[in-house]
Amino acid sequence: MRRQVPLVLCFLFGITMTIQYYVPSRFSEDLKSEVLNWGLIIGPFALVLAIATLVRLHYTRIQRRSENWPYSIVVFVGLIVMAVVGTVQGFTSQGISGGPFEWIFNNIQVPMDATMFALLAFFIASAAYRAFRARTLEATLLLVAALLVMFGNAPIGDLIWQKISPVRPNLPSEVRQWILDNPNLSSRRAIIMGISLGAISQSLRIILGIERSYLGGGE
Amino acid sequence: MSTDIGVWIAAFLTLCIFSFLYKDNPFYKFAEHLFVGVSVGYGIVLTIHQGIIPFAWQPLKNSITGEAPLWRFFVTLIPVGVGFLFFSRLMPRYSWLIRYPIAILIGMGAGFAIPRAMETSIFEQMNGTLRPFGVINSLSAGEIIGAVLMLIGVVCTLTYFFFSVEHKGIVGGISKLGIIFLMIGFGSAFGNTVMGRVSLLIQRVDFLLGDWLGIVG
Repeated sequence: MRRQVPLVLCFLFGITMTIQYYVPSRFSEDLKSEVLNWGLIIGPFALVLAIATLVRLHYTRIQRRSENWPYSIVVFVGLIVMAVVGTVQGFTSQGISGGPFEWIFNNIQVPMDATMFALLAFFIASAAYRAFRARTLEATLLLVAALLVMFGNAPIGDLIWQKISPVRPNLPSEVRQWILDNPNLSSRRAIIMGISLGAISQSLRIILGIERSYLGGGE
Repeated sequence: MSTDIGVWIAAFLTLCIFSFLYKDNPFYKFAEHLFVGVSVGYGIVLTIHQGIIPFAWQPLKNSITGEAPLWRFFVTLIPVGVGFLFFSRLMPRYSWLIRYPIAILIGMGAGFAIPRAMETSIFEQMNGTLRPFGVINSLSAGEIIGAVLMLIGVVCTLTYFFFSVEHKGIVGGISKLGIIFLMIGFGSAFGNTVMGRVSLLIQRVDFLLGDWLGIVG
């Protein structure tokens, strides 16, 4: 009951979704959409559990007056305001439906999101400065490919090149495109194939009950 | 300078996050925690309006009001009941019940992944690699070189990840060539990532200097 039933459920749902793909019929399509709907219904409950855990964590921090506890109040304020305003106001078919929800989204969430990622530009540059040393052939290739792609990506790359040689004014962006379309794509294709083979074998192990770590420990 | 309170708030939060470049400080911590709260709140709204309402609430309501058949009510009630089992995690005595929804979701995901990974990630990629050789007569010299290079790159990189054979002799040489392709791939991925982040940085600086202070643009 505690371990066997989940294994049977996993097998049934897994095998149904696999076979369904190879049996093109109306019934099979209906079955797929019904099972996917089930997934879309069950999935959000996991998010609710995650939110309950987050709330419990910050509530405990406030209750125990742990270090930096006032910031936990900020988490609650942000969460409650956004959730209440958004839930009351809702979405339209075009997305966010204007009003205070859109205002909070555009003036609080989007700027912070973009700035967090923009911050990475500094750290990535500092990491590159420390890590990019052309000591071996492989490291040199990495460095040269990165520099050529960056040079070709920035409009200033072509502008500088035009001053040097007017014969092929867009050479930096052409080189960048060639790198992306040929050596980069070939390695990427091999990586995608490798990842997929791994994903397929892991999925088979899960469906057949060989891989059971998702059941956790204990009885 | 902007007179819009929203722009001022956005500028303040932007500067709060950039202040981390100096060192971790209360302004950054404030913005960081606010970001977590607001993002989770947004996730809740998204889940309610694009998950729970259309897929659970609406079918249940429709079958009660007669807009949908009654069996739809029971068919929808099953996943709702299974979903509620997630909360058994909060009761140690019944926490094992959480395995049911997890097993269903994982089984569903695994079953869904097998044929799609096979189709889109293996057959399609192989097709893309080999297709040019089917129309080789109509290709230019540059395109033929590109197609050959592509095939060599894919084979060599795959060999590098093939650990069932010891990487010595010919296999060792091929896998070494695979590393070269991998390094060029990683380098270009790095270059693209840097440029993406720099674009975001330019956009934020443009916002501060243009939309907020009105100095540029």
